[in-house]
Amino acid sequence: MNADERGSKRVAYLRLSAFICGSFLASLLAAFPLLAADSPTEQGVAAFQQGRYLEASRLLEDALRADPRDEPARTFLALARAATGHCGDAVADLADRFQKSPDPLLARLAGLALAQCFIAQEQTAKALPIAAQLEARYPGDADVLYLSARVHMRAFNDATRRMFASTPASYRVNQLSAEIFETQNKFAEAAAEYRKAIEKNPRAIDLHFRLGRAILLESHSPEALAKAQTEFEAELALNAGDAAAEFQIGQIHNACGRPDEALRHFRKALDLSPDFPEAALAVGRMRVQAKQYAEAIPLLERVVGMQPANEPAHYSLMMAYRNSGQLEKARREQQVLEKLQRPPEGEFTDFLKRLGEKAPTQ
Amino acid sequence: MKAFAALFLLAAAQSAPDFRDIAKEAGLTASFPNGGEKTKEYIIETTGSGVAFIDYDNDGYPDIFVLSGDGGTNRMYHNDRNGRFTDVTASLGLTSSGWAEGVCAGDYDNDGYTDLFVTYWGRNRLYRNLGGQRFEDVTAKAGLTQDRVRYNTGCAFLDYDGDRHLDLFVANYLKFDFATTPKAGSNPYCFYRGMAVNCGPRGLPFETNLLYHNKGDGTFEDVSVKSGIAKANGHYSLAVLAQDVNDDGRPDIYVVGDQTAATLFINQGDGTFTEEAVMRGVAFDENGRELSGMGLASADYDGDGRLDIFRSDFSDERSLLYRNTGDGQFDDVTMAAGLARNTRFVNWGCAFLDFENSGWKGLVVVNGHVFPEVDRQNIDIHSRDHATLYRNTGKGTFEDISGEAGPAFAARHSARGLATADIDNDGTLEILANNQNEPPSLWKQSRPAAGHWLLLRLVGTRSNRSAIGARVAVTAGGRTQIDEVRSGGSYLSQNDLRLHFGLGAATRADSISVRWPSGAKTVVKDVDAGRVVTITEKGV
Repeated sequence: MNADERGSKRVAYLRLSAFICGSFLASLLAAFPLLAADSPTEQGVAAFQQGRYLEASRLLEDALRADPRDEPARTFLALARAATGHCGDAVADLADRFQKSPDPLLARLAGLALAQCFIAQEQTAKALPIAAQLEARYPGDADVLYLSARVHMRAFNDATRRMFASTPASYRVNQLSAEIFETQNKFAEAAAEYRKAIEKNPRAIDLHFRLGRAILLESHSPEALAKAQTEFEAELALNAGDAAAEFQIGQIHNACGRPDEALRHFRKALDLSPDFPEAALAVGRMRVQAKQYAEAIPLLERVVGMQPANEPAHYSLMMAYRNSGQLEKARREQQVLEKLQRPPEGEFTDFLKRLGEKAPTQ
Repeated sequence: MKAFAALFLLAAAQSAPDFRDIAKEAGLTASFPNGGEKTKEYIIETTGSGVAFIDYDNDGYPDIFVLSGDGGTNRMYHNDRNGRFTDVTASLGLTSSGWAEGVCAGDYDNDGYTDLFVTYWGRNRLYRNLGGQRFEDVTAKAGLTQDRVRYNTGCAFLDYDGDRHLDLFVANYLKFDFATTPKAGSNPYCFYRGMAVNCGPRGLPFETNLLYHNKGDGTFEDVSVKSGIAKANGHYSLAVLAQDVNDDGRPDIYVVGDQTAATLFINQGDGTFTEEAVMRGVAFDENGRELSGMGLASADYDGDGRLDIFRSDFSDERSLLYRNTGDGQFDDVTMAAGLARNTRFVNWGCAFLDFENSGWKGLVVVNGHVFPEVDRQNIDIHSRDHATLYRNTGKGTFEDISGEAGPAFAARHSARGLATADIDNDGTLEILANNQNEPPSLWKQSRPAAGHWLLLRLVGTRSNRSAIGARVAVTAGGRTQIDEVRSGGSYLSQNDLRLHFGLGAATRADSISVRWPSGAKTVVKDVDAGRVVTITEKGV
């Protein structure tokens, strides 16, 4: 282990204590209110709550010696050990308490600390199932979801590091780099990496498609449409059954005002993948424009059947009904659309509502 | 010889126009402040302002009115008929201050002189034109004082109840106050592409639109609630298009909003309106998605005898073309019309105009971003950008010819309002644009448009004097073109009230038919091209 690795491990343990202390304190305080601490267990829990982990460990060890069946003492001792970086001594008890504790709060705390310990010990593979179990047992828990995100991020980072270290010349390295750039909205850099990947492996599937998409996302210029089209066509040359590439070519023709060409590609995409909702919607919409309602309406009805929350499909179906004189059905679709377009209720919506209610000074 | 001339006209019509900015030579040198240049702290800095062509002194030549943001004054420039304009702001009594947003024109008192209404964040102003010599601020006298600070935007005069007196519609954007509006970056609606930017419109409180009824005695009454206009809440309204959408002889009102669905108020003929944008196909794009509507223009782009609608939208969105399929129903035909390729601009002022006099109206759109901070991102979306010019192919499609339309279409500005007029009555239209924190642009072609033309000035007698709402059909060379006299439109702007028709190779119009707002009809036969024609409604 070099100095950097040692340093990063130290930081991981320090963060572990901060995580345990910061994330769980509220629930700890709720479960174990700070009372006059008479027994060693109560004194140990109090010390833990106040962040005096070494003292907590000592007191809780005393308590366990006095009563080996003292469950809170065992749990908090494991938590205190984890918080002081002694995960090796804590893991077995944390795992035991996570699986067996009848108190859901203690089980949750043990699970969270256990996963944290595995992350700190660089045993991400062991942390992953713990995170999955926590998510299943405590759905919608912000601490659990945060930890789960961290575990998966760590797993991704670990795998990426291994890949970059062991196969640096592989086209997959460039592909993955490109995909990472895409998540950062750096589409020019992503396109450059896809090009390198294609150069290394010209016959790899999906690279031209992704390059085409990055080009479209990188630039708004009409010229980009032609460049992207070339890539989607190259993808089709490698994989003639790629419905998504056919669909993208259709989109480009449509944006360029070539509806006949667009329709041909949309139809092809739908033939290749009959349950491709975007392709079915595109064909349906174009048939509405051509007043071919007998073909359009069943297609659009199929899309809303496949995806009941697909707003564009409901809108297109509404227009199809309207244009074909089926006004009652059109109104029904309008109602569905209005329902779908209502902003979801939630924390942020509530925040904005409060903001909206606060009318400026007139 | 005739055949040769026609061929020449057709060939000339296909060569690109050459637009040049003549603002400086014309004397339009004053700069119009509108918020920050490198950064804008508040949304109020992003939305101004409009422009107008208005012949205020009835000398037959359109004058220029340019609105200003805070720190400057609106300015009226008199058309000296020699290619130059003189600033007559002070002598006309139009010196002003504050955040002016939109302008619309109409002779609300039927005295023969066109009046002006200017919207503000703050106090709107109705300027009564006193014989072309001076404007009087009659806002309070007319009963148009508002009970609170409002963020008024687009406006239009229209005679919605057919009583010959022009009523007034005023769009409202949102509730804004410097003291209570959140600061940049303070909630998720105060970010753009990862940058903290001014907040809104999302997250800021909605405001309702206003309809004022002209009582015919120089005063107006707020009928927003009574008419049903105020029922439509939840829209950040900007541009207004008042015209007869469903061809029933009554003016309707179409309003586009920022990040919200557009609204279409259909005139019921009994003093009330019903909002029908969704079912009529003009609320959203083809995906049923709310876009950020900025400007509006209308024309019969495909020659089918119905007025279609173009709306300008935000970057990463498409500006939309809605084709009128009859009875006031519309289809989004943006893709099929070839207008879907430009998505990097925030589009604002827009107008249909026949810049070649071919008989087919092209389209001009000015651009400029609301977040100057976007320049830090080094992407292909810019704070200042060039305008876009589309040629109408006459086959239901448009082609972008901005790159070959002369230096005016290469210059980059953060433009907002746009209006068109034929400033020298030579049959070739000019374009005026309000550029934020710069002098305005006045674009003129270096050579006249090739085709023949007519410019129609309508005077109402049984209808409102400005003939706003009059529907005109011109038949020439085997085709019939239609248009309507409109107040307001574009982005918070006012085009010349006269109607321009390109006639292509036709040297005369076989007929000009006018359906007046009163319901009366006038038909004029065999009108020679190449001139301004005044048509007056037959009196009672």
